[in-house]
Amino acid sequence: MKFINDFNLRKQAEELGVSVWQTPGFLSIIMGFVSVVIMTATYFVSKNYDNPQVLIASECLVVVVVLIIGTSISRFVWQMADLNRMKSEFVAVASHQLRTPLSAIRWEIELLLTKMKKGLDEKQVQKLENIAILSHRMTRLVNDLLDVARIDQNKLILRGQDFDLAKLAQEMLDEAISAYEDRHICVSLDIKKQLPTVVGDVDKIKLVLDNLISNAFKYTTSGGKIHISLFQKDKEIVFEIDDNGVGIPREQIDRVFEKFFRSDNAIKYQTEGTGLGLYISKNIIEQLGGHIWFQSIENVGSKFSFSLPVAKNSNKLI
Amino acid sequence: MTKKILLIEDEAELRETMVEYLMGEKFEVVAAIDGQSGLEMTQKELPDLILLDIILPKMDGFTVLEEIKKNEKTRHIPVILLTNLESMENIQKAIEKGAYAYLIKADFKLEEVAKKIKEVLKM
Repeated sequence: MKFINDFNLRKQAEELGVSVWQTPGFLSIIMGFVSVVIMTATYFVSKNYDNPQVLIASECLVVVVVLIIGTSISRFVWQMADLNRMKSEFVAVASHQLRTPLSAIRWEIELLLTKMKKGLDEKQVQKLENIAILSHRMTRLVNDLLDVARIDQNKLILRGQDFDLAKLAQEMLDEAISAYEDRHICVSLDIKKQLPTVVGDVDKIKLVLDNLISNAFKYTTSGGKIHISLFQKDKEIVFEIDDNGVGIPREQIDRVFEKFFRSDNAIKYQTEGTGLGLYISKNIIEQLGGHIWFQSIENVGSKFSFSLPVAKNSNKLI
Repeated sequence: MTKKILLIEDEAELRETMVEYLMGEKFEVVAAIDGQSGLEMTQKELPDLILLDIILPKMDGFTVLEEIKKNEKTRHIPVILLTNLESMENIQKAIEKGAYAYLIKADFKLEEVAKKIKEVLKM
């Protein structure tokens, strides 16, 4: 299949943003054709002419043709490398330039709300808190887009350290429970005691947990139920979050982990969202050596699960 | 005893905010606006901890870190890199050069930065 794709010139041209005669596939065909012509011509020339001048002239011609094709292939490769480099530079520059003013805004508000709160009335505090939430959302969006760009380039940044997944999950859950307090959702927990530590990047796993937990809260109607469990299965720790929310339509189940995908009922229920959370989560978990999967029935609920390998040096192994 | 923190940061707004916050956390804070003066202040002030940005005028953060770790008098001072420049190469470079931690400004609240500082200084 890959071999056939190599010769789908129109598709290649579209993907690479070049004309058909500049695609690597087309240049390979020309190269092959030239080789055949050269071989035949050399055969005939050597057979029919004894004149060395003709032979030299034909060899020169061959060298020129091969040189022209070779140059265009190498120029093409350089162009691609250049584009790739520009993309990486853009990601680096964007990450720095966009995030610096954003962090300044967030820190200014934090300073106001903590060390300079005296003298602010309730309304002012509430407005500042709103700005804090919005700037946090903006930072999160920039970070998500950067992560997607990095995933596309196979350059997702993951730091490996051992950490306590149960403790992190509990902290994240406590935050979510207080944030969604007004929804009156019944949350139950089953976290096994003394679980061993796992290997991973705490900040990235925090992101995964935040995605899964906030999805469950966002897509569960008021008065609904959420159940979370954390247990060990062989050499992995499994996290599961089960809700009786809106679920995912059967025909869209295969697309859940796609980039920018949001299911029809998710959009109906909650307009805010980029469709990047699960795509990023899947990439993080898989690059850390774990798995992520789900079961869902429309209007019945969803259960999302992920596993991470137990840390080799964990001192709490049962 | 009050712990002394040196902040090397060129962005004025970020610098002011951090200085005020950390002073509110009862730290003594001194600040430098570029790498060169940051290095000079390190030797003069001998702080308990350094918060260091990477992209800095006159001398970049990695060079400052290298110089701090080269000097017998300043080698022991823990350095936390605080930047928005996030790449695997930079993180590895920072660890190799002896940084204690590499924090991304956009991902950390001031409260969390202060917590990290207290953790390093065992407060």
